Amino acid sequence: MTSSPMPAPHATEPAAEAAYAPADAGLQPGHLVSGAPVAAPGETMIAIDNISKWYGDFQVLTNCTTKVAKGEVVVVCGPSGSGKSTLIKCVNALEPFQKGQITVAGTKVADKGTNLPKLRSRVGMVFQHFELFPHLSITDNLTIAQRKVLGRGAEDAKKRGLDLLARVGLGAHATKFPGQLSGGQQQRVAIARALAMNPVVMLFDEPTSALDPEMVGEVLDVMVELAKEGMTMMVVTHEMGFARKVADRVIFMDRGEIVEDAKKEEFFGSPRSERAQTFLSKILQH
Amino acid sequence: MNYNWNWRIFFDASPEGNGTYLDMLLSGLMWTIATALCSWIIAFFLGSLIGVLRTLPSKPANAIGTAYVELFRNVPLLVQMFLWYFVLPEVVPTRLGDAIKQLPDAPFYTAVVCLGFFTASRVAEQVRAGIQSLPRGQRMAGTAMGFTTYQTYRYVLLPNAYRIILPPMTSEFLNNLKNTSVALTIGLLELTARARSMQEFSFQVFEAFTAATILYVIINLVVVTAATFLEKAVAIPGQR
Amino acid sequence: MLSNFDFSVIVSSLPYLFGQGMVFTVTLTAMAALGGVIIGTLLAMARLSGVPGLTQVAKGYVELCRSLPLVLVIFWFYFLVPYIGAYVTGSSTPIQVGAFPSALITFMAFEAAYFSEIMRAGIQSIPKGQTAAAQALGMNYWQTMGNVVLPQAFRNMLPLLLTQTIVLFQDTSLVYVLSLTDFMGAASKVAQRDGRLVEMYIFAAVVYFVICFSASFLVRRLQRRVAIIR
Repeated sequence: MTSSPMPAPHATEPAAEAAYAPADAGLQPGHLVSGAPVAAPGETMIAIDNISKWYGDFQVLTNCTTKVAKGEVVVVCGPSGSGKSTLIKCVNALEPFQKGQITVAGTKVADKGTNLPKLRSRVGMVFQHFELFPHLSITDNLTIAQRKVLGRGAEDAKKRGLDLLARVGLGAHATKFPGQLSGGQQQRVAIARALAMNPVVMLFDEPTSALDPEMVGEVLDVMVELAKEGMTMMVVTHEMGFARKVADRVIFMDRGEIVEDAKKEEFFGSPRSERAQTFLSKILQH
Repeated sequence: MNYNWNWRIFFDASPEGNGTYLDMLLSGLMWTIATALCSWIIAFFLGSLIGVLRTLPSKPANAIGTAYVELFRNVPLLVQMFLWYFVLPEVVPTRLGDAIKQLPDAPFYTAVVCLGFFTASRVAEQVRAGIQSLPRGQRMAGTAMGFTTYQTYRYVLLPNAYRIILPPMTSEFLNNLKNTSVALTIGLLELTARARSMQEFSFQVFEAFTAATILYVIINLVVVTAATFLEKAVAIPGQR
Repeated sequence: MLSNFDFSVIVSSLPYLFGQGMVFTVTLTAMAALGGVIIGTLLAMARLSGVPGLTQVAKGYVELCRSLPLVLVIFWFYFLVPYIGAYVTGSSTPIQVGAFPSALITFMAFEAAYFSEIMRAGIQSIPKGQTAAAQALGMNYWQTMGNVVLPQAFRNMLPLLLTQTIVLFQDTSLVYVLSLTDFMGAASKVAQRDGRLVEMYIFAAVVYFVICFSASFLVRRLQRRVAIIR
């Protein structure tokens, strides 16, 4: 499926810029976000307001505050254990938090009255380990939540699912099962599955870090395409090449705190904090 | 040794007057199978429910599930059988108790309920283990797509867990089948009981027990073969 | 109804229930577990030996035992043991065997099948490198098994062996079908004699529960400690 024109440079993590070779994923023409609300830049889509979280006595997030505007692409990076995955999982309340508030498209996540399943159905999420449902065919993976959560008819759901599958370049695999696809292919299906719900925002939790280096490119291509189409995205990743290419802002986290929250140019040009500088030099020296 | 083998005994009329000894054993076999199947239905659904309770993110639900499993696992089946048969009718209101005692085939119904509740505790442990063996991300992925807890279990966790636990569930099914013989203590005329009465009437101990043994082995083989087919039928392409 | 629940019948029969019944149950459990583990280990070794014939015989025995209800096996041995005794001693008539030895042989032989499955898993859990290392040091099969493989296998499987022993403890109640006086048999005899089924059976259930629950609690703690050390 993926014949990268460049040899995969090395197998060490994290895969650096060179591992990301554009245009090898066979992206089909068409828009990935068709049917999603048109982005009106500037309006706040995610507001994270002074979030703190503890596991018992251990504090994993400390007073995190940031915003993601409609149509914005925000990359969250930082060393492992810095709390970046935890933070992104707080956005759709997969992880509870003890202090602060998160507002997604006007809905308060931590309010008792909030219908969380409904909120989550509008927030697409892509996981590190894909988390396709292994017992369901690719088509069923793409349609089950459309039918059971959104109440779409089987035909509509299938049409939308297969449409998106074709656009991530996997139209031929509709009847297969997840176990029959490569990691990169599974992750592209997972992205299509999330998009099938017509999300207003997409969350990516280290979408390429469980992939073999030669498969990283095909997944990033889909994400770049998505970003260019104006999808609001919050992406936890080490792929600085991706950040350089499409991010509007970069957030750097360390030990549960947001250390840096800057425009892409500022972050890569002159990170203010020493910790971010150290991190960048480590991750880019490969 | 001077044991007089007589394999033709199976075709002799039994003293009960309605058929041969072979008919007697086969009627026992039918009661064994009927009891095993009926109790398994209770065990499967109740056990799945209890197993799910133990995996829910709710302390009271976990506690109920754990209490059930501990209670039914730590009292011998024979004692449970006696509690259902002798004690229950005495401790419920008198009229209900009398109604229970007058049920036709009371040993059968008692055995079904008793085995159902007993085996449910074992099924619950398998279901719990199956659900807990799934990657944590599966539950998260279901939740992230907007599934309710019920939907996450119905469409994501249980279909996978049942496939994983099919082999141990086959063992539990066979255990349940073998345990039906404990019901001879409350008068259920199942296979072991019939072999025992054949031995008492005819004095042909080893023929009677050999026949029962062969019948049990055959049922086991049938169940194991059926389970193998079932495993193939529900296998997911691309896995293992 | 429970309003006329009579505690005095329990209290007055305590010496009989525990002095005779429970002593029988515990003795039978302990001896059957010991014998069962030894025979079970030998069966597991036979099954893993790869010796043609031996492997199949061991496998056949284990599979047969596992496909039969314990109650049927109890009856089998109850009638078979006198004939085996006659065969061993060369007697021409079946030998009278006491109820306890008969029950003990039954449970040893039957539970050995279950213990052997645990020991088989235990032996297989020891990395091949351990056997290779022992052989490289010049040990023969029995030395390798006795000094290297089995001690580790026992250690790893101890929680499972003990859990199976708790099951065995419960299973011994089935000697009721031979009218022996184990704990349950004793409770049942008092129940019949005094017409106090409700009291005696509930009491028996409580006693079994307390013992088995405490024992499995201790096994779980042991399991956690073993898991940490490993």
